[in-house]
Amino acid sequence: MTRNRNLLLALVLAAALASPLLAADATVYGDGVTLEKATPIGELLANPDDYVGKTVRVDGVITAVCKKRGCWIQVSDPDTAKAVRIKVEDGVIVFPLESMGHKVSAQGTFDAIHLTPEQAAKAAAHRAEEHTEESGEEKAACQAEPVGKTVYLIRGTGALIR
Amino acid sequence: MRWRKLVIAVHRDVGYLVAGLTVAYAVSGVAVNHVADWNPNYVIRTAEHQVGEVPERTASAMATTVLDRLGIADEPTSVVRMGPGELRIFFEGRTLKVLLPGGTVFDETVRRRPLLFELNFLHLNHGKGIWTGVADLYAVALLTLALTGIFIIPGRKGLGGRGRWLLLAGVLLPLVYLLIAT
Repeated sequence: MTRNRNLLLALVLAAALASPLLAADATVYGDGVTLEKATPIGELLANPDDYVGKTVRVDGVITAVCKKRGCWIQVSDPDTAKAVRIKVEDGVIVFPLESMGHKVSAQGTFDAIHLTPEQAAKAAAHRAEEHTEESGEEKAACQAEPVGKTVYLIRGTGALIR
Repeated sequence: MRWRKLVIAVHRDVGYLVAGLTVAYAVSGVAVNHVADWNPNYVIRTAEHQVGEVPERTASAMATTVLDRLGIADEPTSVVRMGPGELRIFFEGRTLKVLLPGGTVFDETVRRRPLLFELNFLHLNHGKGIWTGVADLYAVALLTLALTGIFIIPGRKGLGGRGRWLLLAGVLLPLVYLLIAT
């Protein structure tokens, strides 16, 4: 009986010791961020050919998150309103929905996707799935997917959310 | 038979050990199976408000106007002008999307589904790290349960009779599905 009580006490103590870690100011996702210098999002989008295939870091505010799978975030530069999507492999990194509005540094490979009609349809279907809870007008606005044009994104490998 | 006693003992003890996690994973499994129809992790509610035209100023000044008109006293986490047509005001678990011009506000609140969020976190191994090892051990435990379970009962109710056919049915079910679906 005393042994069981000691075990329970140890578990409670371990949980108490772990709680400050859980409540840390910054949370690392995936491999985190190793590049010291961030590239402005506006610069990436203005000269995309200079960056495609390269590892880049962007800093900004999280202004959208994949609602059901946490498989992407949208990072916006609050000064320029420019935004880029950080796409991660499903299940490898999962961004919490509560990270909306938080500051973030994210790193990955800058990529260009030339959307075929099939890819555009698939992306639209994924978006529709994410926005099942929303009202008609907002849902329609969110589904405005660029069909047939080049979309730029970052294949994310890590992030630091504050 | 001594080996059967060992099989029963292993099945019993491993069964006790993983019963809790099996229930957790099963509940989460059903929840995430239907992700196309609902959000298994969060309850998201969106309300719509009208605040009228918001004078064009800095993003934070425009946010102050919107919050005053909505009677919200909380300090936002951040304010971002998404472009000429939209302002977003963020709080913990709440986002206001203000459409400009017009002043329509989509007020979105996000709340974790109690218990289900945590079960999905474990089941889908969102935490990675040490839980990956625990999940691997759990998989080995399930394998042990499956293999020992086959040999618990001897005779007509075991592999010598009904058990054999049930085992065969369980193996055939996914195989038939794969033949049809792939």
